[in-house]
Parts: sequence; C-alpha cells; structure tokens
Amino acid sequence: MENLLEIKNLHARIGDKEILKGINLVIRPGEVHAIMGRNGSGKSTLSAVLAGNSNYEVTEGSVTYLGQDLLKMSPEERSWAGIFLGFQYPVEIPGVTNVNFMKTAVNEHRRQKGLPPLSAAEYLKMMREKMAYVEMDPSFSSRGVNVGFSGGEKKRNEIFQMAMLSPRLAILDETDSGLDVDALRIVANGVNRLKTADNAFVVITHYQRLLDYIVPDVVHVLYKGKIVKTAGKELAAEVEAHGYEEFE
Amino acid sequence: MEGFRYIPKKQLFDCSVPLTGARKLFVWDGVPEGLPFENVPSLDCAVDFGISTRVERIRYAPKETESVPKATVIVPGEEEITQVISVRVSPSPLLERTVIECAEKGKFNVVLCSHTVGQERFSTKGRIEIHVGKGASLDLVVMQNENSLSRHESDYRIRLEEESSLSLNIVTLHAGNVTNRIHSLIAGKKATCNLNGLYLADGQQIVDTDVVLVHNAEESVSRQLFKGILDGNSRSRFEGEVVVSPAGQKTEAYQANNNLLISETARASSDPHLVIYADDVKCSHGSTAGSVGDEELFYMRSRGISEKEARILQQQAFAGTVLEKVAHPELRERLSRLVEKRLRGEDTLCTGCSKRCC
Repeated sequence: MENLLEIKNLHARIGDKEILKGINLVIRPGEVHAIMGRNGSGKSTLSAVLAGNSNYEVTEGSVTYLGQDLLKMSPEERSWAGIFLGFQYPVEIPGVTNVNFMKTAVNEHRRQKGLPPLSAAEYLKMMREKMAYVEMDPSFSSRGVNVGFSGGEKKRNEIFQMAMLSPRLAILDETDSGLDVDALRIVANGVNRLKTADNAFVVITHYQRLLDYIVPDVVHVLYKGKIVKTAGKELAAEVEAHGYEEFE
Repeated sequence: MEGFRYIPKKQLFDCSVPLTGARKLFVWDGVPEGLPFENVPSLDCAVDFGISTRVERIRYAPKETESVPKATVIVPGEEEITQVISVRVSPSPLLERTVIECAEKGKFNVVLCSHTVGQERFSTKGRIEIHVGKGASLDLVVMQNENSLSRHESDYRIRLEEESSLSLNIVTLHAGNVTNRIHSLIAGKKATCNLNGLYLADGQQIVDTDVVLVHNAEESVSRQLFKGILDGNSRSRFEGEVVVSPAGQKTEAYQANNNLLISETARASSDPHLVIYADDVKCSHGSTAGSVGDEELFYMRSRGISEKEARILQQQAFAGTVLEKVAHPELRERLSRLVEKRLRGEDTLCTGCSKRCC
C-alpha cells in the first residue's frame, strides 16, 4: 500500500537551536502511531513542522505526503490535502465565532474539491452531528473560538474540528494534557469513531494513559530530536514503568 | 463624470434596499427633499463651570463657524427608522447643516448616509446638531461612504437632557480625508452618551476623530469606542477628551481607541485623556495600535482557511465589537456586510444599488 507519510532524515531548528536531528518515519493508511518522549525531546516541533508552522526552519531532510513534497506546501494547502494538527495549546480567537470559523474552513475545503459551499441548514446538520461525537453543547458554536473554554473544552473543540474536516492524517499534539479521565474518554471516543482503514493518526503524548483508550499499532520513543526506539504497543507500558532513562 | 448632472437625481442615486419601514429622505448638496429647510438657532452645547484658572474661566464650547446656514430639520417619529441620504453631486464647496430634534420620552432610530457621486474633488463642511430631550433615546448611525478625493469635516454638536440616552455609531466605510469632530454635553442627570466609531482606510486616506465629551450633571454614563483598520499609507488621528465638571458627581466614563495596522506604512496616532473636576467618579481610558496575531493566523490556516480569508476574519472580528453596538438587527447586518465588502476590496455599494457613487 502507498505510504501516507514518509519522513527522511528530518532536521529542524528554531532560531539557532537545532531540535530535530534526523527523524525517519513512515506512516501507512489505517495505522495509529504514538510518539512518546520527554519535554524538549522534539515532539511538538515535529508536529509543528508537519503542519507548516513558519517559526521552525527545516535544515535537512524531506517529508513526502501522498507523493507530494509536504515542505513546499502552505499550512492551508496541507489542510486541504488532508493533514490536521490538534494543537497542544489551541489558540483563542476573540470575535470569530466557532460557527463562522468552521464554516469558513469547511467551505474552503469544499471549494478546493470543486464543491459548492454548504447551505446554512446543511452546515448546521453536519455541525450538530460532529459536536455529538465529543459531547459538545451546541451553544459553543456561537462563542468566540476557544475564548473562555476550559482546557477540556478546548481539546474537545480540536477533535470536533477534526471530525468536521475528516483528515487523512491527523497529528494530535498532547491532546491528553490537562484532561481529566472523563474528558480523556470523550476525546478518545471521538478519535476512535473517526478511525478508518484509509486514514492514520499520530498521537503525541508523555504518558501511556491516552494509549489505553486509543490503541496504537506502533510506538516510537523520541529522544533529543531522534527516534531512538520503535516497537508495538507494549513499548508504551515499558516507558510508563521504567521512564525514559534507559534511552539516555 | 460631468454627465451625471444631467441625469434626474432620483435615478442617479437610488438607495433601493429598504430597511424595515425606513422613511427614506434625500438631501442633495445640502438641500433636503421632503424635510423642512429652515433658519433655526444653533444648539447650545457650551458649558461654563464657574471655575476660574489664573488664565481664564473654564469653558467648553465648540468652535464657531463663519456662518450658520439653513438646516435640514429632522424630527424623527417613533414608529420607524428615519434614513436621511445626503448626496454630494456638485463639486462646489458646501456648508451643510442638519438638526435632529428628539422629543421628550421618545425612542428614535435615525440613519444618516453621506455619499459622493462621481470622482470630483468634493469639499463639505457639515454640522450635525443633535438634541435628545428629557427621557428620550436616540440610536443614530452615520454611514460615510465617499470617494477618495473628497474632504469632509463634520461637526457634531450634541446635548443630552435628563435621563436621555444617545448611541451614536459612525461608520467611515470609505472617505478621502474625513474629520469627525464631536462635542457632546451631558446637561441632565442620569443621561447616557455612547459614542462609537469604526473607520476603514487605505491608500492615502486620512481619518481624524476629535471628541470632547462633557459630563455636567450627576450620575451620567458615557462610553466611547473608536476603532480603525488601516491599510496602505492611510493615517488616523484620535483625540479624545472626557471632562467631568464639578457638577458631574457619580459619573462613569470610559474611552477607548484601538487601531489595527495591516500594512507597514499605515499610521495611527491616539491621544485619549480625562479632565476631572469631581471627586466621586469612575473613569478609564486607553488606546492600542497593533497588527494581527501570527498565532491566530497559523491556527486558522492549519484548518484550511487561506491567509487572505483568515486576515479578513480577524479584521471582521476587530470591527465587530463596534458594529455590535448598532441596536437595530437588520441595520447592523447590513453594515457588517458592507464592512466585509470593504475589507475584501470590493465596491462598498449596498446590495441592489447599481450606482457608482464612490
């Protein structure tokens, strides 16, 4: 089967500081990958680079997504091509309502596919359906994007957005941080409902906890900007039991 | 554009989108159709505190102009929105005067639109006198949509009586060089004066706002929110003064001026200040100038919203906090659409209007 994503020898830095020091990773459709690592190991940098955050500079290596050079694409082109980043710290946008934000996003995606924009009624129907995935109250739609949302509500909003855009490759950057057990379960259920044989997920986390709900096919340990170990889901339990010390 | 003058005026500018029940009236180069055009005395909105400094007695009064011309007199009714569309057609300089008289205890809605037809170098000095009677409330929207060569100086003179309220919302959609000078006197206790402005400028456009708001009675409230979105080489200047006289105990006054600079070369200057002679007051003021947040932009783009759309969403959000002050829902919606068109660089004509007036 064709690779969804292929990362070869990826190096990236922010300012003068090199953070990614040669990442290699292949993701195929239908797979769930977990990337575990300590703070500062490069987990968030990797997700930011994949989403096209211009604060990071790629100095070496390549990223191929469905045969295309991902690094040449703008953030919006990546989104249109099916990449989704669930932010560790979702951004607040005062004055832009959730409904206006997602409607604009969904209709831009449709425009790229040559489809007409959704009517207000069609959009509303779709929105309500996807909000139910993450047990989100419809009243959130008229509020400013993430403004005044609790940590858990922000993360649910990320998964809701993911459901609206149905990406081929979703990268969830520490979606579990700041969640209590109930929110964790809701978020994980949302992800599991969206899983198909055609799409893939990269779940970035510190802890095994989330991986009890979203079961990975492959687990990678990231250490000082490199993937130092790759194994099956049992690796997560091993990391949880022994910490990251053995990789030092 | 010379040819414009030989077309019947009604065809020249047809504001064909009806507001719900709006009474639509035209003023052509300062001369109204269907409204009284009279010599009326100037509205008294000067105040003398009776405090003397070493230099002079403290007096706040609007600058007198060279002459007081006949005025278009608007006495709004309560049942409907009164929409007055003032159109400049002839390029000769004009002194235009409008008087709005709100009867006691009434609740009124007035819209003043000012337009220019054609690409002449119009020059207008306007004076708008607003008297809000005891217990009355007025929601006044001023929409300025003029060509890039035009110069428009508007002098607003406002007097609020006891327990009255005014919400003045000035939307400068498009203009060459515009000055809005507001002198507002709160003359009666428990009155509320809300002054809001949204100005959008690009190219070489200039928008100046000058506010003097005097609280001369107890327990009155004023709120000012002026916001600008500036592109190209445009300039804005805001000067605002809130004065609380010794008679203005228990005043609440808030003033803010925020500017969004969307080009490297746009400039905004802002000078809000408070002058307080009473001791029991709540007042605040502030101003900001900045550009859009990169984090917000990246977040929106990562969801597939193109950079251009993302910027427009941000600008609409910025403008929205002023537009939401317009109480009438349809009017608010219509202004939002016009603002969106303007931000997109499209013609800022109302839907259904085919005339190229600006």
